[in-house]
Amino acid sequence: MSKILLLAAASAAVLTASMPANAADDANLEALRAEINAMRQAYEQKIEQLEGKVQTLEARQTDTAQKLATVEPAAGIPATDQRTVNDNSFNPSIGVILQGKYQSFSEDESEFAGFAVGEEAERGKEGLGIDETEVNFSANVDNLFRGDATIALHEHEGETEIEVEEAYVSTTALPYGLEAKAGRFFADLGYLNSHHSHADDFADRPLPNRAFLDGNYGDDGVQLSAILPTDIYSEIGGGIFRGDDFPGGGADGSDIGAWTAYGRIGGDVNEDTSWRLGLSTLQASESAREGNEGDVTFNGDSGLYIADARMVYAPTGNNAEQEISLQGEYFYRDEDGTYEDALAGTGAVDYDGHQSGWYAQGVYKFHPQWRAGLRYSQLYAGDVPTGLSGSALDDGGHNPWAASAMVDWSNSEFSRARLQFNREELAGGQEDDQFIVQYIMSLGAHGAHAY
Amino acid sequence: MKKSIFALLLGLGALIALPAASLAQTTIFACEPEWGALAKDIGGKAVSVFTATTARQDVHHITAKPSLLAAMRKADMVFCTGASLEIGWLPILLKKAGGPDVQPGAKGWLMASEHVRRLNVPVMVDRSMGDVHPEGNPHVHLDPRNMAVIAKVLAEKLQEVDPVNAKSYQTNLRAFEANWQSLLAQWDKEAASLRGKRVVVYHDSWAYLLSWLGMEVAATLEPKPGIPPTASHLEKVLQEVEGKSIIGILTAPHENDDAAKWLSGKTGLPILALPYTVGGRDQADDLPGLFTQTLVSLKGKS
Repeated sequence: MSKILLLAAASAAVLTASMPANAADDANLEALRAEINAMRQAYEQKIEQLEGKVQTLEARQTDTAQKLATVEPAAGIPATDQRTVNDNSFNPSIGVILQGKYQSFSEDESEFAGFAVGEEAERGKEGLGIDETEVNFSANVDNLFRGDATIALHEHEGETEIEVEEAYVSTTALPYGLEAKAGRFFADLGYLNSHHSHADDFADRPLPNRAFLDGNYGDDGVQLSAILPTDIYSEIGGGIFRGDDFPGGGADGSDIGAWTAYGRIGGDVNEDTSWRLGLSTLQASESAREGNEGDVTFNGDSGLYIADARMVYAPTGNNAEQEISLQGEYFYRDEDGTYEDALAGTGAVDYDGHQSGWYAQGVYKFHPQWRAGLRYSQLYAGDVPTGLSGSALDDGGHNPWAASAMVDWSNSEFSRARLQFNREELAGGQEDDQFIVQYIMSLGAHGAHAY
Repeated sequence: MKKSIFALLLGLGALIALPAASLAQTTIFACEPEWGALAKDIGGKAVSVFTATTARQDVHHITAKPSLLAAMRKADMVFCTGASLEIGWLPILLKKAGGPDVQPGAKGWLMASEHVRRLNVPVMVDRSMGDVHPEGNPHVHLDPRNMAVIAKVLAEKLQEVDPVNAKSYQTNLRAFEANWQSLLAQWDKEAASLRGKRVVVYHDSWAYLLSWLGMEVAATLEPKPGIPPTASHLEKVLQEVEGKSIIGILTAPHENDDAAKWLSGKTGLPILALPYTVGGRDQADDLPGLFTQTLVSLKGKS
């Protein structure tokens, strides 16, 4: 505004200076002066008006700003796109599970009477130590596929082993409740098998899962499942596998070494209680399986049948506060082939028989952060041919059993510390009191709340 | 043998195809009661609504239980809050049982919190801050002005999913909007006296309600989001609130009110038991009831 004024004044000055000093022009000069004065007045008036307008506008603006501040951020307004996109926007979600344990055992020996087991079935080492460290990656591949990988690092007899626990792709958007998986993954068998051990309610797996599945059956293959359009939940599925993981083993050639099938139903009794029942089977054919650290070899067909049940009760269904879960699985294994115990020097002995086992557990969440649980598990090795008497397959008249009690505390959804006491008698006269302190912490991606 | 296998396959095919074909209504899977109620209001007779949770359940901790898988299997549309509220269970349901039309971004996918401006969006996130949601506070339904926006988005989605009944959705939306505008005016008038008042809360569930009413949080009973109150934190809260002008302690039906009772006993502050969502208290059995009852509870003791 003041610039215009200056310009006007300057041009006026130039005009006045360039005027010849002529008396005859005095009248003209007077007229010019009057004109300039009039112009100046008009400008000043206009400037005053404009300044007034600016002031009122400014006042109005601060007023609105204050109003906005009191209700800020305004609600009821559709969101605009506020997202910034970076190079790492498409990185898979990463989760790391850190686990550590202290264990003490009262017995030096821990052998399963009547069973030749894999290395995951063992009770672990005494003293302080880190347990399995798991790294999970997962992300949608595109609009149809999702990829998941779980790499586990663990120590076995002084060596750090890297294991691809799971690495699979699955479909996300198939119609009719269908889901297909391909790669290496924990097969849907019974209840616990498809779960990672860090999600378990106890520090170790129950005896039948250790003896019959070596912790988890996870193999390379494909699986197809379908949730049926029924009012209650019902799902069927099955898969074909390489047959390399326990209870399979030594798979070679192009044969399909193992297959699985399962069926499940479930639902709600009422708002408080939900349930699930399942039947499943795992058939490994022509396997060459080693057990008890290579001492025992089984060659032949192994068929495992599992029945599982789970019931969860939470007052008004609000499991954040309180929850009681009851869970059990029954295992039956039918084997036809030969067993050889190199340590006992049995040679290959024809075997056609069955073993079985079960566990039952109850866990009570009595406070949002505290849970307590009890579990009992038992195995039955059954009779062995005379050629195997005195070998690891001969249970010597003892049925292995284990009883466990635990208490755990979770500060948040991502941390858990646990105390557990086990009494195991896996072989006659081998009563082992075990004391376990454990922590499980999850970093990164939010875990899934599987049923 | 071949014939019987063929018959079996045919039977299985019919089992899968028939129920889908005979369903005339659009099936909506609503994660929370407030969205279930809104879906019924806008969908009317053209939809059937399954509500996955109740007012007495902490939605964040739900598991992917069998009944939810069965319901997701039949869903034509998924209507949830989003912003990581259902992160523990909704992804499993979608992956195992959800069809192509209800997957993230598909036409039958609606996350309410994506369509309104969210509060408390953290600048940085770290789990030492508790179970914070990177997307911001997810409890968007407690600002009735957000409801109006979401109702409109829902009506648009429904027209896309089920074009046959498009007219009916438009009519229902218009009726809802007209009613809602008059209710909003009424609530604003009733709530005028609450402006500037302070309350103690258990969790950040009330951010949108308090923002709408111009109220403030004096203290939070949880030390961090998702971590239950500890004795030392409660002592600190007690020192903070003593002698201050506070109208009461807000509790939701799914929240443990032990800490609220303790603080109330120490300070004499009343416990204001709000419905939080549809079905949370006796009179809050629909969306208008939810807000009317919320204001009654807030004002009753102020």
